[in-house]
Amino acid sequence: MRVVALILAGGAGTRLGVLSEQRAKPAVPFAGRFRIIDFTLSNCVNSGIYNVGVLTQYIPRSLNEHIGIGRPWDLDRSRGGVRLMQPYQGKVRQQWYGGTADAVLQNIDYLREVRADTVLILSGDHIYKMDYRKMLAAHEERHADLTLAVMNVKPDETSRFGIVLTEDDGRVKGFLEKPKQAPSTLANMGVYVFNVNTLIERMLALAPQHEDLDFGKHLIPGMVESHRLYTYPFEGYWVDVGTVDAYWSTSMELVTGASALDLYDKDWVIHTRSEERAPAKVGPQGDVQQSMICNGCNVRGQVIRSILSPGVYVSPGAIVRESVIMNDTFIGPGAVVDRCIIDKGVVVGAGTRLGDGEDYDKPNEKEPGKFFTGPTIVGKSAHIPPNITVGRNVVIEADVDDEAFDRFEGVVPTGATVEGGER
Amino acid sequence: MSVLAMILAGGEGPALTVLTALRSEAAVPFAGKYRVIDFALSNCVNSGIFNVAVLTQYQPRSLNEHIGLGRPWDLDRTAGGVRLLQPYQSAKGHTGAWQEGTADAVRFNLEIIRNVEEVLLLPGDHIYKMDYNPMLRFHRERNADVTIATIAVPAYQAHRFGMVGADQAGRVIEYAEKPKRTYNTTASMGIYVFKADVLRDWLLGRGRKDTNLGRDSLPALVKEGNVYAHRFRGYWEDAGTIQAYYEANMALLAETPALDLYDENWVIHTKSEERAGAFLGPNAQVESNLLCDGCQIEGTVIRSIISPGVRVREGAVVRDSIILTDAEICPGAVVDRAILDKRVRVEEDAVVGHGDDRTPNRAQPARLNTGLTVIGKGAVVPRGVKLGRNVLVKHHATAKDYSEKEVPSGGSV
Repeated sequence: MRVVALILAGGAGTRLGVLSEQRAKPAVPFAGRFRIIDFTLSNCVNSGIYNVGVLTQYIPRSLNEHIGIGRPWDLDRSRGGVRLMQPYQGKVRQQWYGGTADAVLQNIDYLREVRADTVLILSGDHIYKMDYRKMLAAHEERHADLTLAVMNVKPDETSRFGIVLTEDDGRVKGFLEKPKQAPSTLANMGVYVFNVNTLIERMLALAPQHEDLDFGKHLIPGMVESHRLYTYPFEGYWVDVGTVDAYWSTSMELVTGASALDLYDKDWVIHTRSEERAPAKVGPQGDVQQSMICNGCNVRGQVIRSILSPGVYVSPGAIVRESVIMNDTFIGPGAVVDRCIIDKGVVVGAGTRLGDGEDYDKPNEKEPGKFFTGPTIVGKSAHIPPNITVGRNVVIEADVDDEAFDRFEGVVPTGATVEGGER
Repeated sequence: MSVLAMILAGGEGPALTVLTALRSEAAVPFAGKYRVIDFALSNCVNSGIFNVAVLTQYQPRSLNEHIGLGRPWDLDRTAGGVRLLQPYQSAKGHTGAWQEGTADAVRFNLEIIRNVEEVLLLPGDHIYKMDYNPMLRFHRERNADVTIATIAVPAYQAHRFGMVGADQAGRVIEYAEKPKRTYNTTASMGIYVFKADVLRDWLLGRGRKDTNLGRDSLPALVKEGNVYAHRFRGYWEDAGTIQAYYEANMALLAETPALDLYDENWVIHTKSEERAGAFLGPNAQVESNLLCDGCQIEGTVIRSIISPGVRVREGAVVRDSIILTDAEICPGAVVDRAILDKRVRVEEDAVVGHGDDRTPNRAQPARLNTGLTVIGKGAVVPRGVKLGRNVLVKHHATAKDYSEKEVPSGGSV
């Protein structure tokens, strides 16, 4: 078997709001020092797959910089290694990737060039640890054309997934993409093993009818009758941190010990690109509990149930509670940060209360469908003035300056949005 | 102008007792995630010197592994980069044998001093941040044969250093290696810039019998009249004793330490493993510590340096100590004023650093006498065992090596 992995990393992740405004969803930081795509990339190399293509489209700059030539994953190789694939102009076609399968189709040359007979299609925005070798072995054993990794989801989540119906031996007899009424809770994880020839044949056959060719919508349903499709049940930890609430609660589970994700497992290391930083320093007044703090942090205040990325500074007298704070953010003296997700390079002024009040359920006025569970989110490099109060479900956009807060006169109410950052 | 830096990293550092039992002094861990040689290596690349040779001899394995191809320092280069030089055998009549001292080590490797105008000789076992460019510029401006970096030291420490007396222009007029008595407080840091041909000619010519640069070569070269001294004003530490090593680590816990490791304009690079952030459990109590990525704290840690992967279990207490990579402190154990090497395991209810008895270590009274207990790599302190002060536990000691439940102060295992 000659295996190549293709990671779909072009998604915008719009439900993550300001966190994915300047980066693709796979590039969103997670668990302090990682980015979401690290899990998929590390799964590949830990499974012995060293031919990896990463398909990007939405703001790829931070992803490009993060992956580079693939050093942290030992993917900087003479043969194989990682390749970043952007949409491109050509003589025949010139367009953006229309859908998941369309993205693969536009890179069909790569599949031919590496002479792979089996291709592993992966999503770059899930957090999980999976040994693909087992799935590949199952695929080969059953002489399948396509094997889909599946897992059981909660009944109220079925409408977000592709739902799979199977025979007793795991053969797929039905596939429903995001059904309103689901006959099963077996969900497609978006991890596929395809025979390359079958995939190419199907893509070329369907491409003329669908510019937005998608695996779940078009390709897979059309193969159920005519091809050998099998499921591969997966039982480990798997989450899609696609919403602010999922991102926040997944992070909280990590620090409270409720999470099944072991980041300290030496047999399945999650690799990432990291800058060289000195150890985290906890000052004499520092107090840290149920938290994860990374190298380069300086904690002189109190940190409870929170995740601090590298280089975060918590001033004396400041309190950080149930929050996720990304790289190099500064929390001023006496500030209180409660249930917030704060992006990189933010300055929280002295004495400011960020995430204040009990009205967690009052949604954001501008985007009530996205932000309604409590966390206040702050975009990259925002400057929050001192001595103000900011409520729940507030969105503070990237790069805003002190002046953007003037109109609130010291109190940003729950559900407000602070705009006006220069781009 | 091209410069070759030669880092002398072959020294044993015997005063560091079990910390240097299995590694050279330059490879001793520092501040949790670094090794001492990271400072000299990072100073080189931060000064724009990408042609570096590391001379090893004593227990080089961990140094070799650490430096590798030089990736963390961007020294994995096509032209230049880092070279690790081991002692070697050669045909009779040529050089090649064990190296007796610094001059000897350089003489054995004169071959690599090619196409360079200056050689920068650096000790691998000092902790400091220094831009070598001002010193190189100073050296060139004066057209010196040799320039010595100097630093002010207290008079009572003069006996440990080469003491340098210079005139107004910086020309060295006297040099005394480790003098018993002197009024001079300007010490050599062991950092020298040599004109490449002066170094070569000296070591093969008049200085061909020299073994040590500071002791043998410099006093003679100073008499030649073209040696200069360049004053360095910054942080510099030779952590060559257990107490100095301990103090240099602990000094990093100060609010604004003299050695700033967080300076983005002078990053100290090191080889680090991939580890998740430090994890602190629900009952963790931490106060004034350095915590490295990958450590997991469930107990109490006060004024300590915690290296990557260290586990402090619930109910364990660590105070005023340095804990190196992947060591484990089990529930109920207490570690007080101690240095634990890598992968040490302190089992349930054991005490390391017990009581007020300050008897110096009986086996090595000159080296271990300040109340610190030192435990070698991979050793176990079995369940319930109490170790006093100034106790030395050899590397890989197992439960069988403990004859009693209590090792009094000054004892050894």
